[in-house]
Amino acid sequence: MKKVIVHPERCVGCMQCMAACAAAHSRSKSVHGAVLEFPIPKPRIHVGSGIYGEGFPNRCRHCDPAPCMLACLPGAIYRDDSMETVLIDPFRCINCASCAMACPFGVIRYHEDRAAPPGKCIAVKCDNCLERQLQGLIPACAEVCKSGALRFEEPAADLKDKTDEIARRISLGAVEGDFAHAPALALLNAFKRAQREVNERRP
Amino acid sequence: MRYVVIGNGIAGVHALETIRKLDPNGSITLVAGETFPPYCRPMISLVLDGSLTEEDLPVRGPDFYEALGVEAFVGEHVVDLDAERRVLTTDRNRNILFDRLLIASGANPRRIKAQGLELGRIFFMRNQMHVRDMIASLDGVEEALVLGGGLVGFKAAYSLMKRGVRVTMLIRSGYPLSMQVDAHAGSMILDELVKNGLTVRVGAEVIAFEGNGFVRAAHLEDGSTISCGMVVIGKGVRPATSFLRTQQIAVDLGVLVDERLQTSVPGIFAAGDVAEHYDVARKSRWVNAIWPVAVEQGRVAGMNMAGRDVSYKGSLSRNVIRIFDLDVLTGGLVNPPDDSYLVLTRMDPRRRTYRKLVFRDGRLVGLVMVNEIEQGGVLLSLIHGGHTLPIEGEAVLEPSFNVARLFPHQRGFLQARRTGK
Ligand SMILES: Cc1cc2nc3c(=O)[nH]c(=O)nc-3n(C[C@H](O)[C@H](O)[C@H](O)COP(=O)(O)OP(=O)(O)OC[C@H]3O[C@@H](n4cnc5c(N)ncnc54)[C@H](O)[C@@H]3O)c2cc1C
Repeated sequence: MKKVIVHPERCVGCMQCMAACAAAHSRSKSVHGAVLEFPIPKPRIHVGSGIYGEGFPNRCRHCDPAPCMLACLPGAIYRDDSMETVLIDPFRCINCASCAMACPFGVIRYHEDRAAPPGKCIAVKCDNCLERQLQGLIPACAEVCKSGALRFEEPAADLKDKTDEIARRISLGAVEGDFAHAPALALLNAFKRAQREVNERRP
Repeated sequence: MRYVVIGNGIAGVHALETIRKLDPNGSITLVAGETFPPYCRPMISLVLDGSLTEEDLPVRGPDFYEALGVEAFVGEHVVDLDAERRVLTTDRNRNILFDRLLIASGANPRRIKAQGLELGRIFFMRNQMHVRDMIASLDGVEEALVLGGGLVGFKAAYSLMKRGVRVTMLIRSGYPLSMQVDAHAGSMILDELVKNGLTVRVGAEVIAFEGNGFVRAAHLEDGSTISCGMVVIGKGVRPATSFLRTQQIAVDLGVLVDERLQTSVPGIFAAGDVAEHYDVARKSRWVNAIWPVAVEQGRVAGMNMAGRDVSYKGSLSRNVIRIFDLDVLTGGLVNPPDDSYLVLTRMDPRRRTYRKLVFRDGRLVGLVMVNEIEQGGVLLSLIHGGHTLPIEGEAVLEPSFNVARLFPHQRGFLQARRTGK
């Protein structure tokens, strides 16, 4: 089954995935419409910055066993086995934030949501865009990502890509151009790191 | 194999499920004091405050035991356990033989000494029945007295306040939740509660209750009197071990268990509020009587009972508390016992946040967060794992801290250095 696979080294930190995610979970399904809605749709993917200012798309991993699911007091967090997705029942959720203590990635947020009763704050996180997938669409974050940091692909195919890349790197006779999987992104990240190091050394 | 589980709290429930998963054919028997289907104990205070009803409490369906193939004796208490003859006896004179036993009897409220405790409307708040009784006698109650500022005392006070009852809370330390938070977060909590109408009295103990059938007032040791139409006693809990023969099974505060959650008697296990294992932050034996620990231990005990060897590293105390407009998340050692610990704090009055980190030998062992608690799980898993922090502690205090900061060398740059020439 295809999944959104994150390639953090390719993230440029543009945050388009956040906007697309919020829009995908809005009533109007558009960024322009979403900003006029109440409650205002919020993203379930969060682009944080790493130590050198490089982008990092942080998204629910749908762990198995899921720590949030085990910690959930009312039993609102459950797994849809067929879609390998961990979901939160907005009606059962009591917004106690027990899952905030459990998630080792810090991907859960607490606010009002279109799916919850009006005025009720709930725990909100990535649902793998099941609504879109049922319509034959791919998850919004992967659809909008231009740099290839979020890709909707078969895990096995992705693994093969990575293996091939390493194989190319260590094979004799590889040509220079073969090394860089994404030379421009690698350069961008190297630049961010250098900038930070320069800043730190400044008296 | 004959498995027997005592208690249908969350530790018992997870053990039942785990055993059945690993041993589809073994015979499983449950003895459970409470007759309700398994329910969420921490949520009973939400029934008291009126935001939930009793129907919202169950965490498993009414057909839970049947579906698992568990023979359940509910409403029945174990009164004796003979570890040598491997048999237990219930208050209905039933004898049940076992090969593997799980003690998951939880905890009972700590009792207090005072005159007039037999009066009506003096409550503990431990189970669904207690809350049902409290709600039934709320009518006409305008003032309530809550003894103790621990998790239960605090939740009782908060719930009664939401019902419009004027609450006085009697606590020993200067602020509530002193086991969970440090003085700074404690004072923020106190301010928030007082701002919303709570009266707090520090120090004095109750020596007597007065009333005519129902409680009307409490007399304190300092000679003062507090008028109250209801009293909730929240002075902590004690592991429920009264049915154990201590000459057979080692009991300290709780039932002592090893890393497989086995007691001193082979084949007898304990999990949850009743068990005393090891605290990973304190590095000592400890009873962490909290829900997520009962879940973890129930699962690990179940696995070991069904023959899958699994060891449990130890528990970590942790709590998240939401009080009006304040979110507080804590874990591990929040008040270090001596000055060999490194403590970092940051307050941001504008964002109304506070963060405190406690380190021992470069490892995070304690945490307090007030507001902006979303990254709490990242830090708690660092404490739980006992890893050294790969970055400066100060960096964790930054509001923009996120999990990516913990892997400064892992991604991208390795590749960048090799390829980006
Ligand atoms: C009001 C309140 C609020 C709480 N809030 C939180 C919170 O926010 N976060 C958190 O982490 N924890 C909280 N807790 C603690 C949490 O509820 C417990 O840690 C957890 O329920 C322990 O589960 P357990 O299965 O070990 O024991 P229990 O839930 O106590 O279950 C034990 C069961 O065994 C039964 N039993 C006992 N003795 C016998 C016997 N001799 N024979 C047969 N049956 C017996 C009891 O009747 C009981 O049903 C709260 C507790 C209370 C009371």
